[in-house]
Amino acid sequence: MRYLLRKIGLLLLTLWAAVTLNFFLPRMMPGSPTDAAIAKLAQNGPVSPATRAAIEAQLGVPTGNIWDQYVAYLGNVLTLDFGISYTFFPQSVSELVLTALPWTLVMVGVVTIVAFVLGTLLGVLAAWKRGTFLDSLPTLTGTFTSAFPYFWTALLLLFFLGYVLQWFPTSGAYSPRATPNLSPEFIADAAYHAVLPAVTILITSLGGWILGMRNTMINTLGDDYVTFAEANGLKPRAVALKYAARNAILPNLTGFGLALGGVVGGSLLVERVFAYPGVGYLLYNAVTNQDFPLMQALFLMITVSVLVANFIVDVLYGYLDPRTRR
Amino acid sequence: MQRRRGSRWGLFGSALGVAALLATSACTVDVPTDDGNNDGGGGDGTSMLLAADNGSPTFDRNFNPYSPGKRQTSTLIYEPLFVTNTLDGTETPFLASAKEQPDPATVVFTIREDVVWTDGEEFTPEDVTFTFDLLKEFPALDTNGVWALIDSIEVDGQDVIVHLTGDNVPAAAIIQKTIIVPEHLWADVEDPTTYTNEDPVGTGPYMLGEFTPNEYTLDRNEDYWQVENVAAEELILPASNTQLDIVNNGYDWAYSFMSDVENTWVSAAEGNTFWFPPGGTIAMFPNLTMAPFDNPEFRLGLSAALDRDRIADVAEEGYVEAAGMSGLLLPNQEAWLNPDLPDGGAVSQDVDAALTHFEAAGYTMSGDQLVDSAGTAVALTLTTPNGWTDWLRGATEVQSQLAEVGITVTLNQPQPAAYQQELQNGNFQLSMGSFGGTGSIYEDFNRLLSSEFLQPVGTTTTANFQRYSDPETDALLAELRVTLDEGRQMEIAHELQTVVFEQAPVIPMFYGGLWGLFSEANFTGWPSADDPYASPATWDANPLLVLTNVEVAD
Repeated sequence: MRYLLRKIGLLLLTLWAAVTLNFFLPRMMPGSPTDAAIAKLAQNGPVSPATRAAIEAQLGVPTGNIWDQYVAYLGNVLTLDFGISYTFFPQSVSELVLTALPWTLVMVGVVTIVAFVLGTLLGVLAAWKRGTFLDSLPTLTGTFTSAFPYFWTALLLLFFLGYVLQWFPTSGAYSPRATPNLSPEFIADAAYHAVLPAVTILITSLGGWILGMRNTMINTLGDDYVTFAEANGLKPRAVALKYAARNAILPNLTGFGLALGGVVGGSLLVERVFAYPGVGYLLYNAVTNQDFPLMQALFLMITVSVLVANFIVDVLYGYLDPRTRR
Repeated sequence: MQRRRGSRWGLFGSALGVAALLATSACTVDVPTDDGNNDGGGGDGTSMLLAADNGSPTFDRNFNPYSPGKRQTSTLIYEPLFVTNTLDGTETPFLASAKEQPDPATVVFTIREDVVWTDGEEFTPEDVTFTFDLLKEFPALDTNGVWALIDSIEVDGQDVIVHLTGDNVPAAAIIQKTIIVPEHLWADVEDPTTYTNEDPVGTGPYMLGEFTPNEYTLDRNEDYWQVENVAAEELILPASNTQLDIVNNGYDWAYSFMSDVENTWVSAAEGNTFWFPPGGTIAMFPNLTMAPFDNPEFRLGLSAALDRDRIADVAEEGYVEAAGMSGLLLPNQEAWLNPDLPDGGAVSQDVDAALTHFEAAGYTMSGDQLVDSAGTAVALTLTTPNGWTDWLRGATEVQSQLAEVGITVTLNQPQPAAYQQELQNGNFQLSMGSFGGTGSIYEDFNRLLSSEFLQPVGTTTTANFQRYSDPETDALLAELRVTLDEGRQMEIAHELQTVVFEQAPVIPMFYGGLWGLFSEANFTGWPSADDPYASPATWDANPLLVLTNVEVAD
């Protein structure tokens, strides 16, 4: 119980620090939201002086000293009121985040789970059959693909599977004339559109799980209890899965918890390449447009979910491995 | 004047586009979609596929024509009084049928009769005055700043009489851009600044058809007052218009910078053409409040040291011309060009002349470096926004050319918002920037040279970023603002060009292109170098000019 209380205290402290940083960091970026809006307009040609005044009036760019802003911000965070977005004026930040979140949660979430399960299984197999083809193929491929940058893989898939072979749509999360709903047709359409971004993330993240699992598993295989189990004549599969893998999975489980926490942040580069309307794309828009309210809400959501995931993993660890409780 | 956002991806995209075309033996590739998304290119010929509005990445349903987050096509649903061709300033009447300036402080617009809103209500001069009152009540809507120019407005029969705050001839060109909304619907809108106007009712050639987040359509308004000039029955606007999409999906009209346009866009389909007229001047803005830029001789030295043709080629792939020192947008504004300027204002690279200018400013060559009287080598910083790749290429070329006259140039590349802030605050030595392109000689030169915008370094200004101040120039601008005499307007325009040419308050380098891509397969009569009746821009009121001029191809 004391362990749990200590962890909760730590969580609250980190949360406060994150919330505070989240307020100050965007404000340290040079240029104001109006500057960003003007810079965007200036790409189409010189901007008239009157436009600047109108944009300032419209956005209602924050006034008052920084301390008052901070206090107001803390109040808003507690009531989950993040205000109006500058970029997508006059939409509210909460509305934008809630529209983008399901796309990211489903697409990135499913891929993260698939990658973890598949990667861990392949890692177990590789360690058990180490030195054979079943080891070298996934290990080598994994090392290779996990070094690919997201956007590079994304562009390759986009080009070959999207344009040359035309097997998959190249952008968006659903067909041009579709409106999001929960009909089976729409879900099938959305799944079809999610294939390329999902495969991109799968390719680049799978290797990490394989290598992580394989390496800890090989260590575990050298332990006495594994030899003892083998000497007792247990079936190889039982030894591999019930004894070695179960003990070796701990580090991968930590990674998985953190990865799940990070899912809400989306996958900025992949979403950008495929114009996928998720949180990553929203974050990209927020940052490039100096959209403080939107940035704050997104960063807050990402930090909180990573912190909470971290907390859950910590707590789980306390039960899985009693040594950490001390 | 290109949309530079994400140009890194753009370059990637277009490189892939070229490869895609090669890989598929240069035939048109249709991206599979489960609807008629592709009928723009090769379909029934009456619906038009446009890359005119980009989702981010999807569309918000916002047709409030005053909102910064509006759908770009709001300007096809609503109309202004007049539409100005931003290339040369030609004006076409829309909701006003005529205008008159009885004296420099008054404009009289005659409002068009027999116009109806798409809900059947009649359009009246009262709608016009209502709109102006709305802008007065909500300054956030007044993006053109008309209430800085207008004193009062009254209706007289079919006329709307605008009384200006003072003598101001060019004001009419700004006032008439105001988009008119219906009183009978907008009078009840509580806060028009946050209103999203999901079901727009306008007077324009198109009305909203089907709307989804990834694509929407506009249907022709069959009761439009000049419906006989509107050829396309339906406009289709997808949210995703990447360069790859544009090359492959058979658009009728797209606006996009396109690398290697001949081998990407033009070769993608029969009938594809392009037109890249200049839309503004890209220049180096020297900070005139500091040495050595406070000395005109030094600025003229910089100007003479540049090989502008080469810079234009490097920056914009040879799509645009080098800009001379007249301050005009050529050939658009050729009629205004001062015939006394040598070579029409063009300045070619002349290192000897540059060194003569530098010497007059007190700088001499010492070894391979330009030094001041104390022997300190000249080192300058040139600011250019991060990610605007064409400007960066231009700036890099400037860097190497100035190295040849012994000047070390360091590039400073802040993020676009920070760049904007540095430019407005005067926090730079030399900065890349753009000017001109409004279609109005007065506006172009006033924003460039008027001390009305003069602010000390550290205080934000919205024009005249280089902080130029000269009483004689101000007097010229003041006279241009009040004179109705066209001969005198021309004389003043000539004198203003001489100011730019002789004093180099900015150093124009090349023109920023307007990247218009057109297909003549289904529609003809697009704006072109031979018939520059409109710019290729897909935003503001320009599409009104284009879509009331194109015709269905035979």
